[in-house]
Amino acid sequence: MNKAIKIFIPNETSANSVGAQYIYEVISKLINKNNIEIIRNSSWGAFWLEPYIEIEKEGIRRGVSYRDIDLSDLTTIEDFFIDFNKREPFDIQSIDFIKKQKRLVFSRIGHHDPLDIECYKNTKGYKPLLNSLKIGPQETINTIKESGLTGRGGAAFPTGIKMQTVFDQDSSIKYLACNADEGDGGTFSDRLVMESDPFSLIEGMTIAAYAVGASIGYIYLRSEYPLAKTFLLQAIEIAVENNFLGKNILNSGFDFNIDLRIGAGSYVCGEETAMMESIEGRRGLVRSKPPLPAISGLFKKPTLINNVVTLATIPMLLDSDEDEFSKIGSNKSVGTMPFQLSGNIKHSGLIETRFDISLEELVRDFGSGTKSGNPIHAIQIGGPLGIYLSSSMLNTSLTIEALQELKGSIGHGGIIVFDNTVDMAEQAKFAMEFCVKESCGKCTPCRIGSVRGVEIINRLQKNKANADDANLLNDLCETMEATSLCAMGGMTPNPIRSIIEFFPNELIQK
Amino acid sequence: MIMSTNLKKILSPFVDIKGGLMPALHAVQDHLGFISKDNISELAIVFNYSQAEIIDVITFYDDFRLEPIGKNIIKLCQAEACQSQNCKQLLSDVTSHFNLNLDETSSDLNITLKEVFCLGNCALGPSVMINDEVIGEATTKKIIGHLKKHKIQNNE
Repeated sequence: MNKAIKIFIPNETSANSVGAQYIYEVISKLINKNNIEIIRNSSWGAFWLEPYIEIEKEGIRRGVSYRDIDLSDLTTIEDFFIDFNKREPFDIQSIDFIKKQKRLVFSRIGHHDPLDIECYKNTKGYKPLLNSLKIGPQETINTIKESGLTGRGGAAFPTGIKMQTVFDQDSSIKYLACNADEGDGGTFSDRLVMESDPFSLIEGMTIAAYAVGASIGYIYLRSEYPLAKTFLLQAIEIAVENNFLGKNILNSGFDFNIDLRIGAGSYVCGEETAMMESIEGRRGLVRSKPPLPAISGLFKKPTLINNVVTLATIPMLLDSDEDEFSKIGSNKSVGTMPFQLSGNIKHSGLIETRFDISLEELVRDFGSGTKSGNPIHAIQIGGPLGIYLSSSMLNTSLTIEALQELKGSIGHGGIIVFDNTVDMAEQAKFAMEFCVKESCGKCTPCRIGSVRGVEIINRLQKNKANADDANLLNDLCETMEATSLCAMGGMTPNPIRSIIEFFPNELIQK
Repeated sequence: MIMSTNLKKILSPFVDIKGGLMPALHAVQDHLGFISKDNISELAIVFNYSQAEIIDVITFYDDFRLEPIGKNIIKLCQAEACQSQNCKQLLSDVTSHFNLNLDETSSDLNITLKEVFCLGNCALGPSVMINDEVIGEATTKKIIGHLKKHKIQNNE
């Protein structure tokens, strides 16, 4: 039943972290009329405005940022309405931060209650699955291949080709594993999908599983995301009730179930082979490849592994009416990328846009500069294994190719801004310290090299001009890159090398 | 060995599923607070691992523990986005306020301080997690306020 007045209060980790849950508790106690309804929508991803509370009346929806506002004086709901109107409510969809984005994967966030399956269906939800079931597995894979989608977890491997490999394996049992171990500092796009549009992930997993012939899908979720866990468990239950999961999905004869597994605080378990070890019930030690997971993965069966955003992108590609996604961008950088702008930045949040946006546009036009007001000094792109760019490099375009040229990676799309109070030698040391903490221990260059790395940088911090230590650090980086099995050891040197190259005299004096 | 009925009940949903050990360890810890020596020998029997293998798994993961810790866990994010928002200063303020180092538990077993790397709240750092709740733009004052509100700690 539609009520006359709707109050939207987001239920999402970041919004709650600055008071949305508190506001919900206050407002819900004030409601005494049955013509008012509270909807726990998701965040719009403009986190700098959170908690952003909206009221919809006579079809018009406007909102206000209630950051750091004490509501304990309110005694009636009318008081709240008066207070709300005094704060000059505005339409979030008309502000540049939202308007200038190209929201395709995140098109639903903010609008409604993420667990309202009717809302999901009314916004094209489950039409793609029906289409996929109609055209069959191979045609589904072809469509994904043609779309140009590459994995958004960091490696940017063509998704369709990976699916084809799993499809081509002759095995009666195959698995799908969704990597939801979003451990990179500065990233939250997976979390936002799971908390704000969980059905898109479930539908994407269902299509992918149908295409490759998997009947069980695991979601490996990091334990640091308890709210995402709550949302996923509820969404899975609702999907089962509606026959979008379970046996004979939508009378197609296809059976598929999702099993949610929770990690236990290990960063390296976001590496796909370590993740499989963890799901199987062991230490998260990296496996050597080959065999590729697509050929012999979970429990030694062919396994399709993708991250959350990649899987949540799949439904839109199967929507027969639209092909907006693949028309954007070129080469490897096709479609949109959800950049996550964070750190010392005024307007932080999720920015889904084309890849070839420049860093300048992202941090100035969207981000509006640093929160502290100090000049930008460094920007780290792509998580702990990502490179630092200096403020003179803001014209860098954020394509997969451009970052590769700078010997970095777009990674998971995290963009962290630092002002001029940052100590780059400390940041370089942190890269090694993080590797010390999180290395799985299998490869010596990663396990021990990182310890030596911290020691060398400690010495360099006392004497930047020591050429012996500078050479030693360079050799160490080379060894780690060449001889580590996975990206943990292999890419830990990336941030350090970028600091040496782009921040002359801040770590090493030449 | 006779398994305690309680533990049997906790483990039963995971015995017959593939890779059941991880969810079983979570369940044991959620119910009992930590994983005891007795639990380890029982887990080894149920999952057909050696005891060494069970310990091997437990000690790999930061979340699992072999000893009881505080009833309430305060995790301070120390990852890059929070670094840019002075999380190191916050860490030093909080450790001196509670007079606890990282991984230490208060003598009344009420609070344990831990560091964590990324809570996914990077846009609103520095971030702190108290039990399952994340606090954004965290300050010592906000943390104290949260502990009071949830009746975790009333005295200053």
